[in-house]
Amino acid sequence: MTRAGALSQSRMRQRKLNTRAALQIVREDDLHEADDDLPRVLSGLDSGVEKAEQNEHHLQAALSASQAAVIGGKVAQIYIPTPDAVQSSLQYDKLYPLTYAQPATYVRFSSTVEDCAGCAYDMNEDDHTFFKSMNKKKDASTQCSEDQFEEIMNCFEETAQAKQPYAAVDSPPVLSYDEIESSMDDYLDDHARPFTREIYEHWKTRRLGAGNKNLMIGLKFETGADTDDADPYVCFRRREVRQIRKTRGRDAHSAEKLKKLRKELEESREIMAMIRQREITKREQLAVERQLFEQRANLRQVKLNLPDQYKEGDEDILINQKPKKKPLEIAQRAPGNQYRLPQRSDGRSSDADLVLLSDLLAEQERLLTIDIDTKIAQHQQWNVGYMDMTKAPLTPPLESDAGSTFRTATTEYLPTPPASISSEHSGDVTLDFSVLAMGKADSVAVRYASPSYDGPCHSQPSFRRRYGRGGRLWIDRRGMRLPPKAGFDSPDADRFKYDDDDDEDEVPVYFADPFDTESMQFRARLFPTPSSQAQMQARRAQMEVFSHGASHSSTSVRPSRQAGPD
Amino acid sequence: MAPRDGSQERISTPDTVEKGMATINTLRIGVKAFVEKDGERRKAEILSIKESKKGEPTFYVHYEDFNKRLDEWVPASRLDLSQEVEWPQPEAPTRKSQKSTAPAPKSATLPKSTVGQKRPRTSTTVATSRKSSETPELTTTSGNASKAVRPSLVGGKENRPGSDNSISVIAPEIISGTPKAEDSELDLVDIQDAAAAAKASNPQHNAPYSREEEIEKLRTGGSMTQNQTEISRVRNLDRIQMGAFEMEPWYFSPYPSNFTAADTIHICEFCLSYFASLQTFTRHRAKCNLLHPPGNEIYRDSSVSFFEIDGRRQRRWCRNLCLLSKLFLDHKTLYYDVDPFLFYCMTTRDSHGCHLVGYFSKEKESAEGYNVACILTLPQYQRKGFGKLLIAFSYELSKREAKLGSPEKPLSDLGLLGYRAYWAETVTDVLVEHEKNSRDGRGSGEVSVEEIGALSAMTTNDVLHTLQNLNMLRYSKGQHVIVLTEAVLEAKEKAKAKEKAKGTARRRIEPDRLMWKPPVFTASSRTWNW
Ligand SMILES: [Zn+2]
Repeated sequence: MTRAGALSQSRMRQRKLNTRAALQIVREDDLHEADDDLPRVLSGLDSGVEKAEQNEHHLQAALSASQAAVIGGKVAQIYIPTPDAVQSSLQYDKLYPLTYAQPATYVRFSSTVEDCAGCAYDMNEDDHTFFKSMNKKKDASTQCSEDQFEEIMNCFEETAQAKQPYAAVDSPPVLSYDEIESSMDDYLDDHARPFTREIYEHWKTRRLGAGNKNLMIGLKFETGADTDDADPYVCFRRREVRQIRKTRGRDAHSAEKLKKLRKELEESREIMAMIRQREITKREQLAVERQLFEQRANLRQVKLNLPDQYKEGDEDILINQKPKKKPLEIAQRAPGNQYRLPQRSDGRSSDADLVLLSDLLAEQERLLTIDIDTKIAQHQQWNVGYMDMTKAPLTPPLESDAGSTFRTATTEYLPTPPASISSEHSGDVTLDFSVLAMGKADSVAVRYASPSYDGPCHSQPSFRRRYGRGGRLWIDRRGMRLPPKAGFDSPDADRFKYDDDDDEDEVPVYFADPFDTESMQFRARLFPTPSSQAQMQARRAQMEVFSHGASHSSTSVRPSRQAGPD
Repeated sequence: MAPRDGSQERISTPDTVEKGMATINTLRIGVKAFVEKDGERRKAEILSIKESKKGEPTFYVHYEDFNKRLDEWVPASRLDLSQEVEWPQPEAPTRKSQKSTAPAPKSATLPKSTVGQKRPRTSTTVATSRKSSETPELTTTSGNASKAVRPSLVGGKENRPGSDNSISVIAPEIISGTPKAEDSELDLVDIQDAAAAAKASNPQHNAPYSREEEIEKLRTGGSMTQNQTEISRVRNLDRIQMGAFEMEPWYFSPYPSNFTAADTIHICEFCLSYFASLQTFTRHRAKCNLLHPPGNEIYRDSSVSFFEIDGRRQRRWCRNLCLLSKLFLDHKTLYYDVDPFLFYCMTTRDSHGCHLVGYFSKEKESAEGYNVACILTLPQYQRKGFGKLLIAFSYELSKREAKLGSPEKPLSDLGLLGYRAYWAETVTDVLVEHEKNSRDGRGSGEVSVEEIGALSAMTTNDVLHTLQNLNMLRYSKGQHVIVLTEAVLEAKEKAKAKEKAKGTARRRIEPDRLMWKPPVFTASSRTWNW
């Protein structure tokens, strides 16, 4: 390798390297010396070691050695010297017995150190001395075990910690035996009880010797004092709640909120400005009005002084005139609205002028008819001398056969059992079943105790069959009484329009239920009084068709239109 | 060696250092004096002063430009007061910004030998005794377990404020020990040139943080870095006994403050509880029935098992682990609790139980994409290849998560070396595999940096740095190429030969044996302190 290479730092200029580009792997031999860039040793890169330590002799020596090796130098590898570990003089096997048997499967374990280390109190040398001398005084049957001793000491320590949590700070007197005794049941079993009093004295001595501080010295945790920060012994502080990581979404959300807030603030500011403007305008108006009043007063005075200059209309100047009603308003309305209530601009209403709703509707109807009539007339006018051929492809061919004419519908009832007593009108209806059974339709008599429905019956219901476009079969109905719908333009239907639903007294009438007695009675009325056998047959056929083409049946609107002038 | 040779001007840094002669009685904390160390004089800062048992003052000193783990108590007799000392500056607002960049290769005087030092058998002996003038085991890629750089530790993330900025630039020692005769054949010029080049391109210090900034960063950063105070600069425990071993702690750890008085701290090998007296420890051992880290085993092969421990569920154990590892991790901080971390603990097994060898912690959710927070091989298991195994396992988890990972910064010195070795080995393996495939007619023999990352779960940046550190990234005929250098291949061959000779294969993580799904934590547990 060239020595000069490392020296010529100027040639170490980095060319841009694309980390995604595939690079050829070559051997040094394959590299032509001529076009090989000089070897570069780039130790100036950020090593990751703290800057202050980067130049430590041992590290530099090791790094230099490996760098030298990289460029072909012959150096031994260098270790950073560290203090060595040595075998302990303690008897390892005694302290760590051979008890571990590795399970066949990977260990799964969740017990904690506290779970595994038994009693938290460990006897120290002082304890041990005392413990020995204590047991010496006892006979073999009443010896205290080390475990019992530690449990008792642990009990004292824990109780003291619970009752004097700040002993380290305010140094209270050592807990008395009586104070501890109450909590012994939680810690000690009966076997340990005989030794407690004896051990308490020992514990008290030790505690006094330690300034009544906890004998089980632990780590220093944060106390909240200011000195915490500087104390290197204070460790394992609670971390503050992690800051919630900012995300783009969250940022966008807040930005949106701020925008909205700003918009609202700007709007309210604008509203305030406008209110201010309004109030200013009001003040100006008042000023103008006052001026006007004063000038009128002046004028009045002038006029009083000059009575001979009287002119018609001069009084008008002295009062504010109501603006003239725009006649336009009414003219623009639909003709049907001509009969609107006169406007009570003067605040008075004349009862005499009250218009009945029915009159209005009648008038509306009349106007409509007139309108239609004129339209028809116009249409006929246009078509004079012309034959309208365009109509033909759009409308079904003229039906010439007799079937196209409307036939009266008759309903045939099969024998049924008498209506149940509970039925509202059961008592009023009598059917002569015997007659029916004999097939004499004529003689079926239906009597009504009262008219079933107070509405006018327009006409006998009738049907006709016809073919529509595409060969569809249509059943047209006429004269059906349909229950009035909302918006049905009958004056009677309109009657309910303004009624309050909450009005309990007058239950609105609905005609929709087909099993309602009334509607059933109504259907019975469809039965024709004069009827022949042939008509019955025809009717039956009709009913079949009807049931087949039920989905195609057109509503009553359609036949009425068709009946119209087309 | 003369302490005042040419290096003096460069070491004694800025413009206005107050110097003067001192006596034992005028020495105080912060003074920098020359201290005899291993037969030479090193400039050291006095961090603490106490009376010895005989009533003589002793001084806790930090040797400039040496890791803190070498800090020690020295008697007054080792202080060289015949020279001027540097008096501490009264909190000058202006930290020296620049230092001399001229790296004058003082090749002649360079070996600040550590030979004969009482910390025995460091690399020096290992390296030199292990022969090899013609085939030195030079690269970190060799993959030989016995010479694996011990990646024992990695710090928490944020840069601690550099308390000591007076770092001189000294030409590197090639060998931290007396070079043997063969070693002198080494191409010193080459190395030094390279090192000099490296130095020249070194960025200078960044501005130190104020303590307030640092605390604030800790508060918000959710990290495990240390807060620096005077007390914590002085090692507080003398000796640790754990399992079958005893060792010296390297750094301060906030064990109960009265533990400082104890000669030896006993640590239960299984629950990691700590005891200042043998009596209490013995009693604890009589009661403690834990035989492995208190969590689920997620990996098991012939030699090691890995356990996953949730800091929230095993707070006591994880705190114990952190206290222990703080003894060996300078940059670790125990400022905050362990809840947001998972701990992956590597153990060896025998009929005593599962012995903790090392571990790494990992944030349950790392905003920066770190796959390791702190990583440590316990000192008694260092230099055995466990560190590399730990690192490999951390990347295996990342692969299972389908993420790229990188360790939290700053790294410790040992951490950096360990990671570099692992990265070099991993990247080389990928490249060799690719090249082999293409020779066999499979594949194109081309690979992109990102592909290497995807195969190894290494970040693109780490791959890039590794390629550059290995001098593999070259520019030829108008395009970048990756060069499998002789040095790298040679090292790989040698590692293979060594494995064969030893009859033991290098420890590897076998992905099939990993029974693990990335744990999922609810939003509420994330929000409420985990
Ligand atoms: Zn234990």
